[in-house]
Amino acid sequence: MRRETARRIAVDGGAALVLVLALGGTAVLSASLRAAERASGWALFALVVGLAAYHLRKRLPFLPLGSSATWMALHSRAGVLAIVVFFVHAGGRLPAGALERVLALLFWAVSGSGIVGLLLTRAIPRRLAARGEEVLFERIPLLRRRLREQAEAVVLGVAEASHLGTLAGFYGRELAPFFAAPRNFWPHLSGSGRPLGHLLGGLAAIERYLDERERGGAARLASLIRAKDDLDFHHTHQAALKGWLFVHVGLTWSLLLVGLLHGALGELFSGVDP
Amino acid sequence: MSQPAGADPRAPRDPVATEPAAADATLRVPRPRRWDVPFGEMGEGDLDRLLGLEPFCSMDPTRFSPAVPLRGVLANDTRLVRFGRGDIVVREGDYGASAFLIVSGAVRVLAGLPAAMLGRLESRRRGWLSLLAQPWTNARAPEVRDLARAAHDARVAERRAAAGETRIFLQDVPGVLDRHGSVRLGAGETFGELAALGRTPRTASVFAEEESELLEVRWQGLRELRARDPALKEFIDRRYRERSLATHLRETPLFRHLDPRALEALAQETVFESYGRFDWHGSYRALAGEVEVRLADEPVIAEEGHYPNGLILIRSGFARLTRRHGHGQLSLSYIGKGAHYGLEELVANWRSRQQVPLGRTLRAVGYVDVLRVPTAAVERHVLPALPPEPAPAAPGPGGAGPSDARLPQPLIEFLVDRRFINGTAAMVIDLDRCTRCDDCVRACAVAHDGNPRFLRHGPRQGSLMVANACMHCADPVCMIGCPTGAIHRDPARGQVVINDATCIGCATCARSCPYDNIQMVEIHDRRGRSLLDEATGAPILKAAKCDLCIDQLGGPACQRACPHDALVRIDLTRPDPLGEWLER
Repeated sequence: MRRETARRIAVDGGAALVLVLALGGTAVLSASLRAAERASGWALFALVVGLAAYHLRKRLPFLPLGSSATWMALHSRAGVLAIVVFFVHAGGRLPAGALERVLALLFWAVSGSGIVGLLLTRAIPRRLAARGEEVLFERIPLLRRRLREQAEAVVLGVAEASHLGTLAGFYGRELAPFFAAPRNFWPHLSGSGRPLGHLLGGLAAIERYLDERERGGAARLASLIRAKDDLDFHHTHQAALKGWLFVHVGLTWSLLLVGLLHGALGELFSGVDP
Repeated sequence: MSQPAGADPRAPRDPVATEPAAADATLRVPRPRRWDVPFGEMGEGDLDRLLGLEPFCSMDPTRFSPAVPLRGVLANDTRLVRFGRGDIVVREGDYGASAFLIVSGAVRVLAGLPAAMLGRLESRRRGWLSLLAQPWTNARAPEVRDLARAAHDARVAERRAAAGETRIFLQDVPGVLDRHGSVRLGAGETFGELAALGRTPRTASVFAEEESELLEVRWQGLRELRARDPALKEFIDRRYRERSLATHLRETPLFRHLDPRALEALAQETVFESYGRFDWHGSYRALAGEVEVRLADEPVIAEEGHYPNGLILIRSGFARLTRRHGHGQLSLSYIGKGAHYGLEELVANWRSRQQVPLGRTLRAVGYVDVLRVPTAAVERHVLPALPPEPAPAAPGPGGAGPSDARLPQPLIEFLVDRRFINGTAAMVIDLDRCTRCDDCVRACAVAHDGNPRFLRHGPRQGSLMVANACMHCADPVCMIGCPTGAIHRDPARGQVVINDATCIGCATCARSCPYDNIQMVEIHDRRGRSLLDEATGAPILKAAKCDLCIDQLGGPACQRACPHDALVRIDLTRPDPLGEWLER
């Protein structure tokens, strides 16, 4: 049996067992509504703590605590389990109390960001692998600056030789902002090629006003535009992969704090009849 | 390789002749020749003296080709080296590319010297407390070294030899001789031929017992001498037969069922052959052109369509399996140390009494050392004792044979052409899964005092990337020439590691690494101050590279840190592990 198949069976089997135990325990305790809520609430909190422990595991990569891939598999299953337990604990409605509402919203935000992240981590790597050269995120500003300098050199060279500013004018209007910073985040993320088409189309439209030397410069600019577009593509997708994790982890810590407060208040006032 | 007869191979050559062709501005330059860079400085007097000594005085100069005469071999492929009393000549475990002839003086050969005396790291793993403390005890400055530990073992010392080379010598020669059994070799005797020709680790350490003059012969010269002089060939072959062959054959799975007498008979009939170049690591990148150009540079060991005249065992190095396809050659797979070739055809012929030709061509990739067991010997000793099932099928025309890889053909060519097949623990990243989170880089940094030991970047084939991380090569060319033995293979686990305490920053290993996976780094103390040479003021450098987390529990941190199973440290010397990983 392959390693990954064995891991999936172990993780899925474990998750199913925990789910059965949690639902069974809740059913047994459901004779007393308060006891059931208390049990499902603490079970949910324990699950969220367990989910957040993955972040701690990432901070201690040198310890033999199992591979991160195994933790990741457990993390995604435990996340689904947490959603089920949340339904058992709070039902499908928005709670009445302000703290509970914040807590519920935080839970959904964490769960939602987790699901989005899972989808992103499945989809984006293939997109990145399929387009352009592999680039390190930290090197993107340097590569962008090099492309900008090359583009400026092309435009200046052509302008000096031809004494005409047709290409330079187009560069100043359309291309200087494009080469100056990362562009077209959402179009890249949605897979749209329209901004690239717009720039290349604009360059093609002025071609009939250019002499042969300027046309050579325009062709070189077109290849630099494509290279910059590839760089933006990588920047967009790598930033999305890093950004969602930042949101997910930040929300998780808030959820833990508010959840702990909610549990403590519940325990404090558990003997008080409404 | 070739040059006019009688020409002095070391004669100065014309400077680069700049004769630009009119149309494409090409440049005409002298073609690089074999002896452009001689091994050492040999004077005419030295050559005359050597030619008067055994074994050279007994060699027949007419057996040598005019392009590569005996005197030329001695002038360009050898050098005279002087060693003082106690100087270590070779270390046990070193990978050498040369053999030695004792011209005067004497040396001692001994095994089992402590690792510290050989400049090696003592193999150890960190404890749990030390591991847990890493995030807090790791240095804030990059490449911090503990000065108190940066010293040689007290039993050895370092000195500068006449040619500017560094020598490590034993402080207490009588003490070492008292504690370790040794063999004395005197003038006229040789050592190191088998390690040099087979590119295998030295099996013993050698140090000079007294002031000695040794003739060091690099492998190119040794191979030339062995090919031209029957006595030397017979001497080396006999020595290999006595010392290594029986063990090698016994350890070959195919021969495990043979009784000792059959093994002995096989050993007597086995022929040794070498193909390709030892210095492949310096030349393979120049062949980054058409596949057919690269294939033309790979000597054919056995050719498709020919009658199998023996069973070929790969003793060291790598070979590519190809098959004719249209007007070209299709790379089917590659094989390395321990693999065999031709068995399927031999079995098919023996069982069917027909003549099935070889189904694939076997080509030397870099340097290959093979053993050829003649067909008659295989039919006499091996095939009758072969279990009837499963019978290996001979590869038919047009189809892949049973040992062909499960890897896509472009991936095989990528791995072979870039010589990644040398890696026993290459870092392969599946870019279809990698989220570029850099958890691997951070984990590596935490495990190495804050300094990542690889770059998450490297050549790609499709969605697979081989990252710039030490591959812990089967043929570790980085280990050749280290003057202090600082870079070495861990005797217990096999990783190629560097002992910081004995690394002198000469960069020999970094220059030798064909994959640019060793960096020379400037070092600092714990306060972040750069450490400078007190004599020259130049920064002190140390070689740094991946050590496969040798001192950590649980294996390589990079692999364990990947959340998506996108990164693996994998043995590429065989195609199967990668094939299995890709099918996971």
